[in-house]
Amino acid sequence: MLFSLFEAFRSALYSIYAHGLRSFLTTLGIVIGVASVIAVVSVTEGMASFISDTFSSLGSNSLTIESRTSFEDQMKGIRNRLSADDLELIERRGEGIASITPILYANRASQIRYSSQSAFSQIMGTTYAFQDVGQLYTIRGRFLAQSDNLTRRRVAVIGESVRDNLSLPDDPINEYVEIAGEWFKIVGLLEPRGDLMGFDQDDMVLVPYSTMQSLQGNQTRSDIQIQLSLTESADVDLVANRLTVLLRNAHDLEPDEDDDFTIQTSEQLMATFDQVINMVTIVVGGIVGISLLVGGIGIMNIMLVSVTERTREIGICKAIGAKRHHILSQFLIEAMLLSLLGGLVGLALGYGLGNLIATSIPSFPSASIPLWAVLLALGFSGGVGILFGILPAAKAANLDPIEALRFE
Amino acid sequence: MALIELQQVSKHYLMGNQTVRALDGIDLDVERNDYLAFIGSSGSGKSTMLNILGCLDKPSAGSYHLNGKDVERLAPNELAEIRNQEIGFIFQSFNLLPRASALSNVMQPLIYRNVFRSERKDRARQALERVGLGDRTDHLPNQLSGGQRQRVAIARALVTDPSILLADEPTGNLDSRTTVEIMDLFDALHTEGHTLIVVTHEDEIARHCQRVVELKDGRVFHDSISGKIEAHA
Repeated sequence: MLFSLFEAFRSALYSIYAHGLRSFLTTLGIVIGVASVIAVVSVTEGMASFISDTFSSLGSNSLTIESRTSFEDQMKGIRNRLSADDLELIERRGEGIASITPILYANRASQIRYSSQSAFSQIMGTTYAFQDVGQLYTIRGRFLAQSDNLTRRRVAVIGESVRDNLSLPDDPINEYVEIAGEWFKIVGLLEPRGDLMGFDQDDMVLVPYSTMQSLQGNQTRSDIQIQLSLTESADVDLVANRLTVLLRNAHDLEPDEDDDFTIQTSEQLMATFDQVINMVTIVVGGIVGISLLVGGIGIMNIMLVSVTERTREIGICKAIGAKRHHILSQFLIEAMLLSLLGGLVGLALGYGLGNLIATSIPSFPSASIPLWAVLLALGFSGGVGILFGILPAAKAANLDPIEALRFE
Repeated sequence: MALIELQQVSKHYLMGNQTVRALDGIDLDVERNDYLAFIGSSGSGKSTMLNILGCLDKPSAGSYHLNGKDVERLAPNELAEIRNQEIGFIFQSFNLLPRASALSNVMQPLIYRNVFRSERKDRARQALERVGLGDRTDHLPNQLSGGQRQRVAIARALVTDPSILLADEPTGNLDSRTTVEIMDLFDALHTEGHTLIVVTHEDEIARHCQRVVELKDGRVFHDSISGKIEAHA
């Protein structure tokens, strides 16, 4: 049995080689199917591993609360806000909170200057607790301290990109930069974190929350973002639910009114990304399934033609002693090899394509093919070959030798 | 015991509503090293006879013993094994595999016998040398003349060392000079001890044989050994 399988491989390879162009065209459907799945999987897989790396560095046990204004209300000129009162409320009444920090974003174009250089950056007013919540660490100097906030000190912690953009020295500590006409002393430089989806995470300037408030003047109208991290034992959903009730009461919302804020967990954010990636995988999987089906039908079609074409040869082989399984395995293996070779070509093509896509888009994570995708692609293409080879092979094996010999 | 024993072998086909009796109660023994010719006009049952003798077809009735084996009750795969081990076919239209070299063609039946490639090659080369084609092993069938192709086919039949060689109009597609060459080869094989059965409609060919059996309407009309002539034919 093993022996005849080996011989069948030999003659199948020969037959594929002898009809080079036809074999290639026959398996083109498989090539395209496998190439597309490998290309997409390699790109999304690279993206997914990058995203999950990034999120784990963000700290998974954190919540972000922001104001939310529905589009209708925005058209009416209404703007919902989260205020310092809300922050105080949560600080007082929230449970399971390890640290909490407000973030006040600069509401004007945030220009920052150093000697003759100027640059735009994200300027955020926050507190020492942001270090915990945002998992930010300084490589030089120190982070914001509580006393900075209490005394409204004009100090700033900057990201690597800001240092670079302003041509600050490698050690920028104790240099002064100008923000909104005020001078700030740099007290810390943050550890570089790189890009996330083309968004530069190192392009930010942190100043004390109360300093930011005084810069903005009108404190009552400021809209803050609240970030908090939870204690180890706290349940994220439970805390989020409780905060929702707390804020709804504080904002006097009727039961039929929508929240005027959103509470987002980093898990939620990650789940959203995962969802997108899963959707892409499912859609691509469907397309690939269809293309493999079409490719398989193409193989079946050509194999049927080939059986008819070789009817006389099959008759000869049967006359000189070929058994059913000799003929069956020969055609089955030919169909499988045809499909498998298509899968291999598709694999190489798809990998090249994935890398091309990944490298042609700047700051895109590099493509990587997981082993399961390779095995799955090859397994599937081989399986398709066998599945769609069964009918032609059975037809060949069941030929009557006398009829087959008479075939012109 | 004779090499081939046919007892009351019949083959009936259903063609439309009519039953065609291609063979009708044939009794025949063929001894080892016989050199036998089946003759008869077309439709006499020659081809059916050959298909049954060659285990390509099974009789509708009667019994067929080949080399002591009861053949008519075997399954298709067992018949394939008999064809591979006991029978060497030689066809009118050669029936070589067109994309395989002369050597590969001769090696082919040995694949079904699980003979390893190196041994297959040796045996095929010997068989080709035996039929005088030792220098043509790598040629494809369409690079060979008709006579050479038939020699390849004969080598393929010989390579398995079968009990009988069955030739169906072996010279039907050949010119007269090549016909003589092939028949000389057959005579030589007979002298070496092979058993040959030739189906032909040419008296010229039949004359080479020791024994001539004439079929008519599916019955033995005349057998040169027994001298029997069916009365009702």
